[in-house]
Amino acid sequence: MKKLVAVLLAVILCCTAFAAFADDITLKVWDGQDDQELLKELCEAYAAAHPENNYTFQYGVVGTADASARYLEDPAAAADVFVYPDDQLIRLAMADALYEVTRNHDEIVAANSQGSVNAATYKGTLLGYPMTADNGYFLFYDKSVLTEEDVKTLDGILAAAEKAGKQFNFDVANGWYLASFFLGNGCTITLDEDGKQVCDFNNEKGLEAAKAVAALCAHPAFLPGDQNILTGTIGDTVCAGVCGTWVADAIKERLGDNYAAAKLPTFTVNGEQVQMGSFGGCKILGVNTQSSYPIEAMNLAEFLTSEESQLRRFEVRGYGPSNINAAKSEAIASDPALSALAAQSDYAVTQLIIGDFWTPATAFGNALIADPTVDIQPLLDQWVAQTIGQ
Amino acid sequence: MKRFWKEFAQGDIWVKGSCLIMGLGCIKRGQIVKGLMYLAAEVLYFLFFFGFGWKYLSHLLTLGENAQLKVWNEDLQIYQRVPGDNSMLILLFSVLTVAVTVIFICLWVINLKSASHLYQLEKAGKEIPSLQQDASSLLNDRFHITLLSAPMTTLILFTVLPIIFMILIAFTNFDANHQPPGNLFTWTGMQNVTDIFLGNETKTRTFMGILGWTIVWAIFATFTNYIFGMILAIIINNKLVRLKKMWRTWFMIPIAIPQFVSLLLISRALEPSGAINVALMKLGWIKTPLPFLTDVTLSRIVVIVINMWIGIPYTMMTFSGVLMNVPEELYESASIDGAGPIRRFMSITLPYMVFVTAPATITTFVGNINNFNVIYLLTAGGPASLDYYQAGKTDLLVTWLYKLTVDQHDYALASTIGIFIFMIVSVCSLTVYNRTGAVKKEDMFQ
Repeated sequence: MKKLVAVLLAVILCCTAFAAFADDITLKVWDGQDDQELLKELCEAYAAAHPENNYTFQYGVVGTADASARYLEDPAAAADVFVYPDDQLIRLAMADALYEVTRNHDEIVAANSQGSVNAATYKGTLLGYPMTADNGYFLFYDKSVLTEEDVKTLDGILAAAEKAGKQFNFDVANGWYLASFFLGNGCTITLDEDGKQVCDFNNEKGLEAAKAVAALCAHPAFLPGDQNILTGTIGDTVCAGVCGTWVADAIKERLGDNYAAAKLPTFTVNGEQVQMGSFGGCKILGVNTQSSYPIEAMNLAEFLTSEESQLRRFEVRGYGPSNINAAKSEAIASDPALSALAAQSDYAVTQLIIGDFWTPATAFGNALIADPTVDIQPLLDQWVAQTIGQ
Repeated sequence: MKRFWKEFAQGDIWVKGSCLIMGLGCIKRGQIVKGLMYLAAEVLYFLFFFGFGWKYLSHLLTLGENAQLKVWNEDLQIYQRVPGDNSMLILLFSVLTVAVTVIFICLWVINLKSASHLYQLEKAGKEIPSLQQDASSLLNDRFHITLLSAPMTTLILFTVLPIIFMILIAFTNFDANHQPPGNLFTWTGMQNVTDIFLGNETKTRTFMGILGWTIVWAIFATFTNYIFGMILAIIINNKLVRLKKMWRTWFMIPIAIPQFVSLLLISRALEPSGAINVALMKLGWIKTPLPFLTDVTLSRIVVIVINMWIGIPYTMMTFSGVLMNVPEELYESASIDGAGPIRRFMSITLPYMVFVTAPATITTFVGNINNFNVIYLLTAGGPASLDYYQAGKTDLLVTWLYKLTVDQHDYALASTIGIFIFMIVSVCSLTVYNRTGAVKKEDMFQ
């Protein structure tokens, strides 16, 4: 077996050696439909900066949401470099889809925010190049109804909203948002060394968090529903809601001058204020392990996630950069949504979830919406049991 | 078969030699081209088998032993990958190889048959058919072979083989944790089946619960449409009703909008702050929004009612067609005999309609068991339940299967459920279909 491996290695070495000297290099790159133009621009800039090789790029339209699914359909035919959101990292890692970032590792870690590096890391190995750091959520609100003081606490928002006859939207029936109460109160959901899901949302702290959710659900100024509800009603019957940067434009359009954003509020546990946590995610560029030109693909990925590229991405598409220097630029610091996200990022954790969490989370949220007075502990136990696969 | 062995045993060395070298018997008796074709098939098969098929077939029992390996490359500073086995490709190409082998064995038997047949002909002193004669027989007495070979090949290649592949996946552990090339999957025997029925309490409860609701749904969805469509058609076709065409057009309008569009719109309208709840609140009929999509009973009623709105136009159309074809003389003679409207309906209209529409109703029933669109687009299976494994209270087996495949990547479990859906649907439809009047009394319908 060892001999076989050695022979195979030698063959691969020869191949890559040839590839390194060859002039023609074809790289397949995947990104979403709306990002294609920018992708082309950046790839061409890369080719221009590296005249030693003759680059040909094949652009594929694969949105981040479909990246892992499309990759796993046929890894050998998938892109050499592709964008995926951090919540698909574990799945791709299990299929051994991603090259570890080993070249220029320290520079890349130093250049990007800690949160984004954590999100691209699985079992201590950096598995991709952080590209954006805006895959998180925070509070949008209507300045004409709520003051900066009001939005500091959940109670403040609800009280002010009720007084103004408006509502506060929070998607309780979505585990991603729902978890913010639990994470804020000190609960954890993560993976152990064997890659098994661990979750303690059903302990005492979790029960306290769940009671806070139930209190929110029972409040007359609370409106459940997903982001479509928020973008459809904010400024009208709704004065604040929790969502992410992808709805920022839509909300800005509806609120106009009253548009404002802030980190998530605090909520009350046993009479004390507790800051809501959140999941902080990012989009990551991965290099396919089946690539014929791994080195070139890695160089391209590094270029596409460099400070300049990230700044350009913000200019064209408004994506928040993961690069520390880029994030400090004036344009980004003055963007309300991105600065709210940055403020929230101090309380954000990396999402380490492998699948079975979401459906029972929705069920739990719906149960509280339907009846806030329900006996919570058994529901929590069921939710956690399903999440950790018992 | 017995005759074949007897003739084969009587054959000379050329006939027996055809066992090893195909086409030998044919070549010896003068059918050179046919013999060479057999030989070419044999050569091609062995090239395929040893050049391609064996590589996968030899791993079929384990579905691969070596996952992709990582080896540190100091020069390039990367972990280089050594390609390993891929369970999915092994399974896929093993199925293909087995299928090709079965076809080859058939061909081999045909080759032996024709060799001994030719030997018998020669012994009896009869003429050996030439290639031209053989070819022309394909257009005459063996025309069915010519006609069906293309459809059969495509059927096997694109329908039978994929189905076998899918069925085999049900006996593996192909799920999110076993994704080639990083992690291989392997055979687990009946594990998935026992999981559903015995081993895993949550999965058993989910399967049984969803199965129960699927049947309830199929019955309600089919018969509400059937009955209300029938009533509507009878009302419109009544002599007293004027402007028949206008009414028919009005009731057909739901069909004009693509089904998925109206379903998605209704789903939005049923949200707590959707159009319906807002309208009801503004009218002052309710104080808080009705939980159309989050309450179990209410959401189940909602999907059945919305399905009526979508389905009744179709049944109305069918019944209108049938009603217009009931011979008028039947009613006239019944009236003369003193039958009232109810009597006429019960004895003429109803039997007539049931007789004609029974096979179509069975199709609808089966279609409703697998009615993905209405459920998935309206409620997405929700409200999600903590009692169920990755499913909600309006999920049908087929939408649960979809969630398991697309969201959970639990291919093996999904495949197992797929097999059960197939069994339920085929048993249901075959038994009922064979009992319907339209089939039993096929010749009676005039």
